[in-house]
Amino acid sequence: MAPPNLSQRAPSPSPSQPSGKSEISDLKMQLRQLAGSRALGTDDSKRDLFKKVISYMTIGIDVSSLFSEMVMCSATSDIVLKKMCYLYVGNYAKGNPDLALLTINFLQKDCRDEDPMIRGLALRSLCSLRVANLVEYLVGPLGLGLKDGNAYVRTVAAMGVLKLYHISASACIDAEFPSMLKRLMLNDPDPQVVANCLSSLQDIWSLEASTSEEAAREREALLSKPIVYHILNRIKDFNEWAQCLILDLASNYIPSESDEIFDIMNLLEDRLQHANGAVVLATIKVFLHLTLSMTDVHQQVYERIKAPLLTLVSAGSPEQSYAVLSHLHLLVMRAPMLFSSDYKHFYCQYSEPSYVKKLKLEMLTAIANESNTYEIVTELCEYAANVDVSIARESIRAVGKIALQQYDVNAIVDRLLQFLEMEKDYVTAETLVLVKDLLRKYPQWSHDCIAVVGNISSKNVQEPKAKSALIWMLGEYSQDMADAPYILENLIENWDDEHSSEVRLHLLTAVMKCFFKRPPETHKALGAALAAGLADSHQDVHDRALFYYRLLQYDTSTADRVVNPPKQAVSVFADTQSSEIKDRIFDEFNSLSVIYQKPSYMFIDKEHRGPGDLSEELGNLSVGSEPVDNTLPTQRYEANDNDLLLSTSEKEESRVQASDSSAYSAPEYDSSSLSLVSTGIQSEAPLSVPGLPAYNPQASTDIDDLLGLGLSITPAPPPLKLHPKAVLDPGTFQRKWGQLGISLSQEFSMEPRGVAALTTPQALLRHMQGQSVQCIASGGQPPNFKFFFFAQKADEPSSFFLVECLINSSSAKVQVKIKADDGGASDAFWTLFKSALSKFGLP
Amino acid sequence: MAGAVSALFLLDIKGRVLVWRDYRGDVSAVQAERFFTKLIEKEGDPESQDPVVYDNGVTYMFIQHNNVFLMTASRQNCNAASILLFLHRVVDVFKHYFEELEEESLRDNFVVVYELLDEIMDFGYPQYTEAKILSEFIKTDAYRMEVTQRPPMAVTNAVSWRSEGIRYKKNEVFLDVVESVNILVNSNGQIIRSDVVGALKMRTYLSPKGKVN
Repeated sequence: MAPPNLSQRAPSPSPSQPSGKSEISDLKMQLRQLAGSRALGTDDSKRDLFKKVISYMTIGIDVSSLFSEMVMCSATSDIVLKKMCYLYVGNYAKGNPDLALLTINFLQKDCRDEDPMIRGLALRSLCSLRVANLVEYLVGPLGLGLKDGNAYVRTVAAMGVLKLYHISASACIDAEFPSMLKRLMLNDPDPQVVANCLSSLQDIWSLEASTSEEAAREREALLSKPIVYHILNRIKDFNEWAQCLILDLASNYIPSESDEIFDIMNLLEDRLQHANGAVVLATIKVFLHLTLSMTDVHQQVYERIKAPLLTLVSAGSPEQSYAVLSHLHLLVMRAPMLFSSDYKHFYCQYSEPSYVKKLKLEMLTAIANESNTYEIVTELCEYAANVDVSIARESIRAVGKIALQQYDVNAIVDRLLQFLEMEKDYVTAETLVLVKDLLRKYPQWSHDCIAVVGNISSKNVQEPKAKSALIWMLGEYSQDMADAPYILENLIENWDDEHSSEVRLHLLTAVMKCFFKRPPETHKALGAALAAGLADSHQDVHDRALFYYRLLQYDTSTADRVVNPPKQAVSVFADTQSSEIKDRIFDEFNSLSVIYQKPSYMFIDKEHRGPGDLSEELGNLSVGSEPVDNTLPTQRYEANDNDLLLSTSEKEESRVQASDSSAYSAPEYDSSSLSLVSTGIQSEAPLSVPGLPAYNPQASTDIDDLLGLGLSITPAPPPLKLHPKAVLDPGTFQRKWGQLGISLSQEFSMEPRGVAALTTPQALLRHMQGQSVQCIASGGQPPNFKFFFFAQKADEPSSFFLVECLINSSSAKVQVKIKADDGGASDAFWTLFKSALSKFGLP
Repeated sequence: MAGAVSALFLLDIKGRVLVWRDYRGDVSAVQAERFFTKLIEKEGDPESQDPVVYDNGVTYMFIQHNNVFLMTASRQNCNAASILLFLHRVVDVFKHYFEELEEESLRDNFVVVYELLDEIMDFGYPQYTEAKILSEFIKTDAYRMEVTQRPPMAVTNAVSWRSEGIRYKKNEVFLDVVESVNILVNSNGQIIRSDVVGALKMRTYLSPKGKVN
């Protein structure tokens, strides 16, 4: 088909072209003349005029004054004119509701036109006006549209229902459109009608579900076996986008037996070869989610989907590669082992954009193991000389990360040290930071590293992070580096030129360390550093200088122990993302969450979240053990809980830092360890670091203890007894939940029979009541249940335990967060709670 | 549920809006400007930017074609892979109509662009992106007006890319195999990686519609 050649008719307006009023009034005149005319060729002249109007509208000239003339001219059977008129009306109606009323009449008339195209277009325009006071005129035409004999009109109407819902939810529900959509979805012969019905229903029910029990049930019904099977069996009739929609529906379906899982996978097997990458990804999501509970099959699925994914990466546009790679990245991070032999697929190609390269580098890092490290590191070292500086930096970091993961780092250390010889500023900078981390983990390599690092002139290192790393090494290994005191002295002389407070802080610490190792040589430098630090305008630098000064005054041997404690090597560097967050991202496979590497609640405004998000599930919580129609408290929970989620993740991060710093006082963490300790004293809250003995508030505030040097062990608490008839009103629960920090967060797997018995939340509630654990709110549908429990100490009525418990009955995973008035007893409570939960389902 | 797109923008190389279509009414044209400032804020040229940009609750996904940016804005957690692919399909559709997609061809064809944008997506959900199907909806060419009275073929036809009632005198199928070989050799002459990417292109002149086994 030849492209319509319009260029000679539509003027191509440049910004300097007419914007004057005369031009518009001229148009107005001409339109008026044509409005009544029935002469031959009128439509053609009208078209030209309409095109002019549309062009003006598009380049931002206000042509709303032509509204009535445009409407008058729209009395025509010419579909092109109609379309342009609808476009014009749609653009200006929202701003001028009065004018919109004018158009309703002719749009309604067009909805009864004999040409199905016109009926469809008019209906779409009518629904797109988005003017709330015109809703009453929508219902009639929509109802007719859904029953129209032509599929095009029905497709438009199915989407129109959703548009109506967003303008006025009550009008849409009252007209019983959702049930009509459902009927249409199951019976219509046209696939696109079915697809649009499905989109609309999903959107409507999930928005309604927070306020109506029935809607929640309907939403579940969309995932019922008959509906899912009915649509899946027809999947090949649908176009590619509709297939994505259906596959997404299927990925949320929970089969009741394992045969079903295989049936569905067999049915969808060929979708993995589809030309459209989005269909392939959607299919992969179905496969992955269906097999979550079957470990072996799940692994086989990984093997099966690898080839299609890798093909997609190399075949499509860079943008598509990026989207696919992000998903591959997620899978690689979950199971690096499975991809270790495919490392060559993740080599960067010269022509790829840097966002693709970055992802590939991360994956190469993740899959490096004993068998492929040599090849991967060799490849990465090539990239270090890349012209793209950010990629060069990333590759050096990747080499460093691999070194930190491996047991045999000999060769890698050599390569890193070779980087230092390249004498490029950014390469040196990145490498220094890495060498510092390596030394923290493998102190045994200090000899080789120090020899090379000692040759670097501090003048060539300008980036604060790199400079700090160098200074840290100078301080830490000052006994092995002949020049250390003099280099430090030199740096201190230029104190005022050093802009980064981070560097100045490290300088203070390094010179202290050096002083205790080589006092005569450093004595002068230390004095100068402390003097400069005390006069420093930066608060932290000043405070640290003062702290060191007083420490030295108090007792030098204590000071030595504070500054140069014996250190253990760091075994594992902290992972910044909790497994809960990672799992949630996996649940949201094939969405933006994977690209951002964040669960959707972190980047989507609340009112725009889709179903399946936690906020939705919480919306279904019912207060008390039986459903109560009072929905207000549940909504407050929802708001409350989202804040909690965020604060938890922050807390986890800080906790990780705490554990890190007490294991080994390293450059970045010096300041944070001090501040954390001081807050610990003020709040008197036990700083419970997993894996480390709890900080005991009663212990002396001896500085050694504060820095985690002397380890104090908490005495074993007396056995915990729970009050069998604990009482707590929802308001107090909520207040406490907001006030208390999480004292314990655990994950474990439930017994299969327990999961089997968990068909409704109520079953578990009664069971837990028998174990002196009361439920205050519960909700969710299979497989995701959510409970809020509480319990009370038998001997101490004011001491409560609050529990948030998430159970996924398909994966049998339970996530528990405990908050307690008496944080010290939460471990004991956890033991009780876990044993209570694992008794569930026993006869 | 895959999230829906709020609006589709066509921007020129400087980030000015050429044409945009508002599907859900929850973003405004100002958003496009914010997107572009955000893009420029990051250093480097826009071509090396991630195709997914986040700003203040709105996700922008974009691709560049010649001197035109095609960009979607969305407030929901939508299916990134499918939207990016969709944008490429939109480019294909435009190319089908204007031979080449660039600023000038868009400016010359505002009306067709609007019509296309109206049919490829409804309320933020992708609808039809096959140029052949769309040509049934898009009737701006006056000459083709006379044949428009029959309903669009997609609605009567399960095979979305084929009109009904096509008959050929000679039943033929042409099959092209297009393969490209990629090879990566390091400085020592060793082959680091090699692969073949292939595509099958088929042109059918078969009269009855149906499956070919």
